[in-house]
Amino acid sequence: MAKKFTGRKVGIVGAASTPFKAKWYEKTYYELGQMATREAIKDAAISIKDVDAVAYGIYNDIFERSAIPEHPLQGIIGMANKPGIRVTNGGATGIYTLAAAYAFIASGMHDTMLVLGVEKATDCFDFTSMSATPEVIKTIAWSGDCWFEQKIGWSASDSYAEVILAYMDEHPGDLKPEVTAQISSQLSMQARSNPYAQRQFDQVTPEEVMNSRYIVYPLKELEICVYTEGASALIIAEEETAKSIAQNSGKPVVWITGIGEANEWSYAGKNQNHWGRIYSHHMAAQKAYEMAGIKNPLEEIDVVEIHDAFIQQLEISMAEMGFVPLGRADDLVEEGIMMPGGKLSVNPSGGLIYSGHAVGASNIMSAWSARNEIINKGLRRGLVHGTGSTICQYGGVAILEHD
Amino acid sequence: MIKKAKVIPEEYIPEVNSRTVTIEDKNYLLQNDAMFTFYERAAGEFSAFFLAIRDEKRILGCKCTKCGLVRVPPMLTHCPDCDFAPTELLEVGQVGRMLSTPPITYFATSMFLDKAPFGRGRVVLEGADTALSVMLYTTTGILVPGIIRKDTEVKVIFRDERVGAVTDIFCVPASELSPDQVTKKGLQESELNWAAPVEPQYPKASDKDIAVYKQCLKEMQILASEMSGSKRARKAIEGWKRDIAVKTKGGDFAMYIDDGDFRIEEKKLGSPDFVMACEDPGTLLDGLQYKGAITDSVIARKLWISKNMEFTTIFKLDRLARFLAREKKEQGAK
Repeated sequence: MAKKFTGRKVGIVGAASTPFKAKWYEKTYYELGQMATREAIKDAAISIKDVDAVAYGIYNDIFERSAIPEHPLQGIIGMANKPGIRVTNGGATGIYTLAAAYAFIASGMHDTMLVLGVEKATDCFDFTSMSATPEVIKTIAWSGDCWFEQKIGWSASDSYAEVILAYMDEHPGDLKPEVTAQISSQLSMQARSNPYAQRQFDQVTPEEVMNSRYIVYPLKELEICVYTEGASALIIAEEETAKSIAQNSGKPVVWITGIGEANEWSYAGKNQNHWGRIYSHHMAAQKAYEMAGIKNPLEEIDVVEIHDAFIQQLEISMAEMGFVPLGRADDLVEEGIMMPGGKLSVNPSGGLIYSGHAVGASNIMSAWSARNEIINKGLRRGLVHGTGSTICQYGGVAILEHD
Repeated sequence: MIKKAKVIPEEYIPEVNSRTVTIEDKNYLLQNDAMFTFYERAAGEFSAFFLAIRDEKRILGCKCTKCGLVRVPPMLTHCPDCDFAPTELLEVGQVGRMLSTPPITYFATSMFLDKAPFGRGRVVLEGADTALSVMLYTTTGILVPGIIRKDTEVKVIFRDERVGAVTDIFCVPASELSPDQVTKKGLQESELNWAAPVEPQYPKASDKDIAVYKQCLKEMQILASEMSGSKRARKAIEGWKRDIAVKTKGGDFAMYIDDGDFRIEEKKLGSPDFVMACEDPGTLLDGLQYKGAITDSVIARKLWISKNMEFTTIFKLDRLARFLAREKKEQGAK
């Protein structure tokens, strides 16, 4: 089944992010996109003229209020007259954008690329409740099945809640509220050291998480990611180019040694989506591990930047990716795995729950954070994860390695 | 002639308008806007499914002529598992079992604010292999966790007015119906016995109850003035206006929400926007003190609200409490 990978070696040589904010009154997504690009170029110590092509990660046309939202960016970010491709894959847009750019470079088509994720998610506004959130989640709800589900209240939260509840039906002792509360609290502490996090100073106690209101049963407010606005960018390059950029910038190359993705059925029942599992994440991880030669992820990976749309989904995804057994995802806390002093650093950025979910930019922000951790703390390997679409249908994983 | 509903209800549509916000002495513009598209959408191969629901109150699935898998809804004409062998339409049952425990949406998107709380889950109907997504209700009042779980038997109910859309059907637990209703095909919503909302009545208050009420009221009034003075908390109720009559065992009072201002007065309101009732006023005090969500008190039936639509206001009160707590915490952290 497995196909031997024969492409060129690809590495990250620059990365940047804008601050993630609940709302940028001061900037449009044009400027946010340029801001992240300027900073990434500066980080790599190259000129934009040295970049061959760009891959844009922008999830939702309605957020940006344009059906080809990337088109004004091409000139604004200094990429006029060069190839540009936009990727949109629901919540997993960022990880898929990285994978697409990776493939262009690995294939020999380009040598250096910009991976730019941007989303202006909270311009949407509901004038009946005089608040943004109901309209933001409505905008996402246009992503559901347009014949059978949108009209009966499909939303991102309720579709992930379905998957979480199906898992809980199979494993009633797992995902205990006390454990999800501890994870959320822990992530809020970690966000404290991310100056770009939307909720940098919003440290919460497990008790506050337990006491927060239900949004969609069984998910509580402080167990859910927050929609945000921002942009994140990576500069990636093939081996020789990467080495020469690194020599000049003084920052080591962080190699992308594994990439895997999988999209499941969007329907449930016999022979459809693997109900009670998040199998897309399992498949994506297995493919990435095989490519990177990873046999035991818990022993071989030091930092994980996981797409935590919901704490419960974070736990299941960690199990699907092999860090804990299925049915014992609570080991993440109960065995101390992701707690201070544990084996694994999980979402040092604060994740999407505390750093914020700027959809198209989110997984790229995660890669930015994992790369920073690998370089600054001298770690061996990191894993970046993305999830998206109805019932966690899409999954993507990238493995990053220290030079 | 009956006036037909509009595809976009009037109340969703904002006026042409704009406003300015000032950040660090610079002005920034916010414009009211919309992105809209109208459709005359072809239901294509799904036409038979929707027409059968609308006109015959029947549910159709499709069966693969090779592997025999029955898919409901009939989402394809050829089976991808069998090298695209053709499928055939067939009728399936109107009773089924939940594939898994369904979620319940309390905080809905702007299009479903008036329908929350509602359940949406997947039912495997008799004769089907795959699961149909359905809206779920209980005839007993607000849907709370535990009423419908994995394997719960549910019955398809047809709306009285059907338009040929998936909204023409929903499910309720079969256990809430009579045996005849469970077996009847094409059972309609008007044939069900829906519980009407009844305002709770409390026994006469003791002196102690009254003392507790007075103390809670005093503490809530102090909190309300703190909230009105907090920049962040004011944001939670920006642009919102509600007069709420609150009834407790120890006495009644009024809550006023007015575009950032939050006030509590000992007063009986003649024509409030809605009524809240809770035996113990401490339930509300805890909520406003950010010690347990008011939303959850409604779910736990400790707090009664006269209009489900006012869940929106309940959420705003929860945010008010959280935003005040957060502002205090952030001031401490910085």
